[in-house]
This record gives sequence, C-alpha cells and structure tokens, in this order.
Amino acid sequence: MAGMASPNSSTGRSAPHAPSPRSPRWHVPRFVWHLLLWSTLAFAGWCVWIDFEVRRDFEALQWALPARIYSRPVELYAGAHISQQHLVDYLQRLGYRRSAQVAGPGEYQQGEERVRLRTRGFQFWDGVEPPVYAELDFDGRHVHSLQGEGASELALLRLEPVEIEQVNPTTGEDRLPVALNEVPPELVNAVIAIEDQRFYTHHGIDPIGIARAMWANIRAGGIVQGGSTLTQQLIKNLYLDREQTLRRKAEEALMAIALELHFSKEEILTAYMNEIFLGQDGNRAIHGFALAAQHYFGRPLNELKVDELALLAGIGRGASYYNPLRYPDRAVERRNVVLTRMHERGDITDDTFTRGQKAKLQVREKTGSRSGYPAFMELVYDNLSRDYDSAALRTEGLRIFTTLDLTMQNSVEAKLDGAVKAVERANAKTPLETAVVITDANTGEVRALAGGRQRGYSGFNRALHAVRPIGSLVKPAVYLAALESPDYSLATVLSDREIGIPQPKGETWRPQNYDREVNGDVYLFDALERSLNLATVDLGLKVGVPTVVEALQRLGYNGDALPYPSLLLGAVDMTPVEVAQIYQTLASSGFRSPLRAVEAVTTATGEPLAYYGIETTQVADPAAVFLLEHAMQGVFERGTARGALNTLGDRMPLAGKTGTTNDLRDSWFAGYGNDLLGVVWLGHDDNTDTGLTGATGALRVWATLMKELDITPRQITQPAEIQWEQVPARPVADAGRRDCNEAMSLPFHNARLPSVDYTCEVNESFFDRVLDRFRSLGQ
Amino acid sequence: MKQPRKHPMKSPVESPVESPVQRSMNCLQLATVLLGCAVLTACTTTYVPPVEPAPPVMAEPTPEPAPQPAPVVVNPAPQLPPPVATPTPEPVAPAATPTSTLLASVQSAVAAGDLDRGAALSERALRISPRDANLWYQLALIRYRQQRFSEAGDTARRALSMAGSDAVLQRQINTLLQQIGSGTP
Repeated sequence: MAGMASPNSSTGRSAPHAPSPRSPRWHVPRFVWHLLLWSTLAFAGWCVWIDFEVRRDFEALQWALPARIYSRPVELYAGAHISQQHLVDYLQRLGYRRSAQVAGPGEYQQGEERVRLRTRGFQFWDGVEPPVYAELDFDGRHVHSLQGEGASELALLRLEPVEIEQVNPTTGEDRLPVALNEVPPELVNAVIAIEDQRFYTHHGIDPIGIARAMWANIRAGGIVQGGSTLTQQLIKNLYLDREQTLRRKAEEALMAIALELHFSKEEILTAYMNEIFLGQDGNRAIHGFALAAQHYFGRPLNELKVDELALLAGIGRGASYYNPLRYPDRAVERRNVVLTRMHERGDITDDTFTRGQKAKLQVREKTGSRSGYPAFMELVYDNLSRDYDSAALRTEGLRIFTTLDLTMQNSVEAKLDGAVKAVERANAKTPLETAVVITDANTGEVRALAGGRQRGYSGFNRALHAVRPIGSLVKPAVYLAALESPDYSLATVLSDREIGIPQPKGETWRPQNYDREVNGDVYLFDALERSLNLATVDLGLKVGVPTVVEALQRLGYNGDALPYPSLLLGAVDMTPVEVAQIYQTLASSGFRSPLRAVEAVTTATGEPLAYYGIETTQVADPAAVFLLEHAMQGVFERGTARGALNTLGDRMPLAGKTGTTNDLRDSWFAGYGNDLLGVVWLGHDDNTDTGLTGATGALRVWATLMKELDITPRQITQPAEIQWEQVPARPVADAGRRDCNEAMSLPFHNARLPSVDYTCEVNESFFDRVLDRFRSLGQ
Repeated sequence: MKQPRKHPMKSPVESPVESPVQRSMNCLQLATVLLGCAVLTACTTTYVPPVEPAPPVMAEPTPEPAPQPAPVVVNPAPQLPPPVATPTPEPVAPAATPTSTLLASVQSAVAAGDLDRGAALSERALRISPRDANLWYQLALIRYRQQRFSEAGDTARRALSMAGSDAVLQRQINTLLQQIGSGTP
C-alpha cells in the first residue's frame, strides 16, 4: 500500500509548483505528465520484477537440510543385554512419554518388573521397522522375555535410533520438512486462529485485518497487533535478511499478492509451516513446526496434544520472547490466548478448551548431553569424508547411522573421570589425561569413544590424535610372529638374561626387565604373561624384527615402523584407535575388520545410499591366534593383569595386555572379552611421568569400565589343529634334566608338537604319536 | 535431491550372461541357503576344558582334553566357576529366536533377489549373535552370489573357524570354499 502511495506523493509534492486548480488543464506542465508516466512505468516494471522474483524463488524453494546423525538402534529380544533402567533412559532420549496406560506410539508404562511400550516405527537402511506394541520383563541386566500384543510371540524388536547430532547448513537453519497432510489439523486451526483468520479468503494482504490492527494499536498507544497475513509472514521469513523499511514493507505486500496469484493456499500454508522461525538453539535456528515439536517437547508433531500445538502456534509471533524453555509463564499465557481464539471460532469444544487451559506445560527435559559426543563424531566425520564432501552433509538431509552405543557411551563418560582420579597421583602438576576406545570385539564397530577424561570433552581428541609409544602392547605381535612359524610353541624355552645389542652408532643397547631382575630359562607363554623384556628381545631377534613388523601390519597397523630391535619392546608410536585395530584382529581370531563408526547412509526419505557392512579378512592363522590367546588369558590369570581379578573375577576368562613406556610416561591396557574390546591410555599431555605402569593405571581404569559395561567372558572355538600336551612345569633348556613330577597342560598346533624329549606324555600315547607322525608324513 | 558425490555402495562384479551351468549352480546355491537356514546349527555347546592348576603345578595328571575339537574356553581361571553359565538367560519361548526370525527375512530377501538387503539382515543377525558359524556361512553364501568372491572366501573361512564340531556345517562351508576357488576369475 505504501508503495502505491509513492507515485501519488511525488505528484503531491509537485502540486505547489503547479498552477491553481482553476487554471485550464493545458497549464499542467509537461514534465509533470512525464514524471507521472515514468513513475507508472517504473512501478509496473517493479511489479513485474517482484512477480518474477517471487515465482522463481518459491518454485525453487528447497531448503538446505542438515545431515542427521543417529546412534545405533537398541535391539530388544529375550536375552538382550540391557537393563530396565537403561531401556527407560533410552526411551526418554527418544522422547517417549511415560503414561499410566500405553495408548499411542511413543508412550511407555513402567511397572516394577515390566515395561510396556508402543514404538513409533522407523525407516532404516534395510527396511521399515513397523510400529509395534511390546511388553518386556527383565532379569538384572538382561531382557528376560519379550511379548507382543495380547502376549503374542515377538522375537525381535528394533527401537528407533536416537538423533545425536546434525550437520547444519551454513545458513544455520534446521528443519524437519513435513507435508500438509502430516500436520495435525488442530495446528492448522491454531495458526489460522491466532495469525490470520481470513487466510482462506484474502488475496495475500488483508485490509480488514490491517484496519483492525491499526485501530487496536491506536487505542493501546503502541504496537499490540500486527495485521500481516500468513502469506506476508512467509515472505518476511523467506527474505529474512532484508532490512525493514517502508519500501520493503511495500515490496512484501506486493510479493504476497504475487504469491497468492501463482500458488495455492495449501502450497503457501505448507511453506509457512516449514519455514517459520520458532526458536534458537545455540547456533542452530529452529524452523518449522515439526522441528519445534522436537525441540520444545522432544516428541514428533503428531504426538502432541491440542494445548501443545496451540503453544507452538502462539510462539511464532516472538520465538525468543515466548520461549517455553526460558519463559514458561509467558508461553502459557500466549498458549491460552491461542486456545481462546480457537474456542471462539468453534475449533475446539468447551471441554478441550478448559482442559487445554489447565494443562501443565511439559517441555523437554534438559538432558545436559546436548553437547553431544564430539570425540565420537570426529571419527564419524573422518569415516564419512571418504565418500561425502561437507556440502553434501550440510544440504542434502542425509541420514547417517552410526555404531555408537548410547548406553555404553554414557556409562563410560559417567565412570571415566572418577576412575582416572582413583589412579592419579595426588601431587601431579598437570591433570592425568586419558583416551578410551570401546569396540565390538567381533565386528570392529566402535561402540564408545572418549578423547579425554571430562564428559562431552571437545578439545584435543586423544583417542584419535595422541600418538604415543605403545610399550609392551606390541609384544603380542612378536609372539604371534613366533607362533605362526613352525619353530615355536608356547613351550619354547626362551632366555631371559642380560643382553647387549650393538647399535649402528657404536653404542650398545642393554634392555632390562621392568623389575630389573633376570629369570633365566622361561617358557614362551610365561614370558608374555609376565611381559618379560629380555626374553621377548631374545625371541624377537630370533624371529627377526622385520617379521614382527610384518605381523604388526597384517594385524592392522598402517604406519611405518622402523625395524630396530627396540621395536620389540614397543618403540613404535600409535594412537589408541590404532591400537584398538590391532587388538581387534586378535579378538577376532586373526580376521581383521576395519574399525568403523558409520554403518549406513540414506537419503532424507530413507532410500539407502551406502551400507558399510562387516568386512572380514583373514590375516593370521586362527590356530596361532588361539595359542597366543592362551598366553593373553594367562596375563589375567597369572601375569601382569592379575590385579583385575578383584574387580572382574567373575568375568574370567578375559584376554589382554598391559603396556608401560619409558619413565612411566604412558600407561596402557588393551583387552577383550567375548563381546567387547577396550583400549585405555593414560598419560600427561606434556609427556611427563605419570608414576603409573600399565597395571597400576590403565588396567584399573579398564577394569572399572568393563565392570560397568558388563563384559562377557571369552568363549572361543578351539581350532581342529589344537592338541593339548603335558610339559614340565619348570622350563629347562636341557631336555635330560626335565622334571615331570610337576607337569602342566599346554595347547599345541598338532603339526608343531614339542619334541618327545621335552614333554611329560606317558608312553602309550608316545607310540601312538610316533605312529601318527608317520601317518601324517605318508599323506 | 542431488546424489552425494560418490556412491559408495560397492556394486557386484558385472555378471556376464549366465550359462545354464551357472544358473543351475545358482539354484543349487539357493537350495543350500535354504537348507543351511533350516539346519540353523546351534553349535554353541560350550565345552569346558580341564581346569589346569596355576604354577607351581601339581604332579597329578590332568585329564586329557576331549579329542573332538569343540568350542572351549582356552584357559579358565582355576578358582572360578566355569564360564558355561553365560549371563544370558535362556529365552522363555525358544520357538522363534531373533536370529531365526532374521534368517527368515534373509531368505525372503535373497529369494526376491535383493542380495544387498539379505547381506544387511545377515549382519544384523551377526551383531546379535556374532559367534554363530551358520550366520557367517549365510553371509558368505550371499557374498558368493554377489560374485564378491574374495569377501565370500574370507567370510566362509571365518565361519569355518567357528564351526567347531558341527560336521554338516563344516562340509557345507568346505563345499562353498571349493566353489569360491573355482568361481574366482
């Protein structure tokens, strides 16, 4: 309207120069006519341009959608490893509402022993998970039974994944676009009631509404009402960055008219529902009602009640002023205005109106973990960067399904700081830092990750970037290289005696055991269990350092390790994630699976784009890994990790290895059970001494975490080639002096049985074995 | 909506026109899948090996381990209860287990020719039951049908490493490994 006035006003301004009204017509100077003509033409051109602009922009209206990143979905079945409390925590993260009776999707009921729930269903990369009703009983930390509707059989149920993060577009706008038929009709009514009562009848601008608003404002002596239509508000939102001048106002009005000319009311309403700005969450702008429902109530739009929908409709006028999280009283007052309007219009019954006005505001609980999981997310972005550039992540609304186990991650974060504090020296100058990697011991999927001891820590990610010498964690590679060769068995006798190794520069390297003792003749398995440095160097030099490097690389180490003898004692630098990769291969019986944080990627509508399945490559002989594991289980039973028996005694057997570096700068532990693998590193960022060995530091943190995560004992299949033999308990290099009064049983590869001179097998089986040897030679 | 820069889903090796021999072999494979699913080897019987005393060791002879290779705990801690008592309680109604339910979906996906989905479902089952040799075998069969021979071979070897004393399954896996050997170009 103001725009229309401008040509008139220019005529008006020219009036004083014009002759008096009584003058004959031809006295109007030509330049006035010219001005009028050109103004009209300019105005027409402006209208045409605006019309073109609006059509172009609205037709091309396609919001940049953030990628949404999800946790691993919880699977429920009889025997599933989840406690009732952990399930309820998860449901609350999903925004499920606790109720006395489960009526609709997204609700649960919690009894003393039983949880009842109705899921929402979800479009996964491998198909649709339909919404179902389920009842669960628990037995401690496990699901005892799972049943469907009417106690029907239900074998398996996959809950929705939790959205843990978005990759926001550069605009900072976030939204969950919805079609009009997905919007509850009550919300449409509420929006029309409060914002634009004549929406379906006007043509973009509403003169009656403007007049009424002006009258109301004059009476109130200030701005109390706005007269702009939904269409005008949509325009304002779409071109939000424009300054608010009179000319812009005119432009908006014209654009609104043009929009109504070319597009239907439904199209305009849909755009409004998705475009309107409804709040700010850090650097993320909340647009559209569907996302606002999640943001304020933690639930999808279709699960909200009328009073909640009315509240959302009401805050559009001033999203920060009416922010229900911050100003609940203002928001409720505003909600009640909306409900009153709806009631006046007959949109809602008296009953709904009264109940709605009394309804208590129940906004989403501040979870506190809004900061997300920055350390894990860094690994996710690293995995994704191989296939997606950041533009795709910021604009295409991709759904990214990760391997993060929320329950596990939260447990690790809850326990870690306390566990580190428990081993930290009281007089430490700088705080002791840590990194933790937890993976699925069978698939290599990363379940939890900590880059520092503080919860939600987003600084230097030590799990990915702290490159430290690994100390004795390297030893399993030395022993595996030996056990793969025909010359070694667990009963091979090694020399744990002082040794001097000439270095290229002329000096001599003289390694020592941690306790500075020497042990003489020791069995190979014993040397690993007790982490004896001298015996390991003896073995490694016989096997050959390049062979050890090659074994390390087969297990999954990608870096360059210089084949110096000091490598045998861990003079090779790795990050905790790299260590986890190597131990993953050991935990999987010699099958390497690359560590992964991303499982699948789909489009915004759920079409699969990528699936990063379980890869498995055989890189070591399972029989040799089985023998190695015998010693790595011995690390817990008799060796350097036996201190963990106090904490994890009921979890045995487990397998693992301690690691300590020079001057106690790094304290490591890597270990695994049947289900989980964990690597813990402790150290100072300035690389000063921690006062901790692997056993007094990282092992204790590892044990605390694994107790909390309820690690399950190792149960591995014995390869067909394995045969158990009796050997003397006391190792002797000289077979003639062996003492079979004390014997023990050890597993051997049946092609590499110890020489009969060294065993304590009784004679019958001795002849059998000689015969067997001949038979096998004949084949 | 634009596609992402790259499409990272690995596509199976381009299949040349199928010869009748190949086709019959695929039918045979399908039959093997179905048979394998039906068998659903529950080979998780846990054999506990003789408990060996910690050093210093007694002279009394420890019993010989069973000659049959079976899933064992390598080295149980002497003083501890045997780990057969897994913390997982037995399902109340063992009629349909999560893995049998998923295997049924794997079968229908494979029958419908949707091998990618079949593989994804097998892996979902493996996440629930990662030491089930039969599940690894089913995944290996799908990889073979997808002509991803190298992965099929590794997956089959992993299945074999867990097959324990299940002779039927071992034979099936070995047959598959032979086929993979001859199927690799």
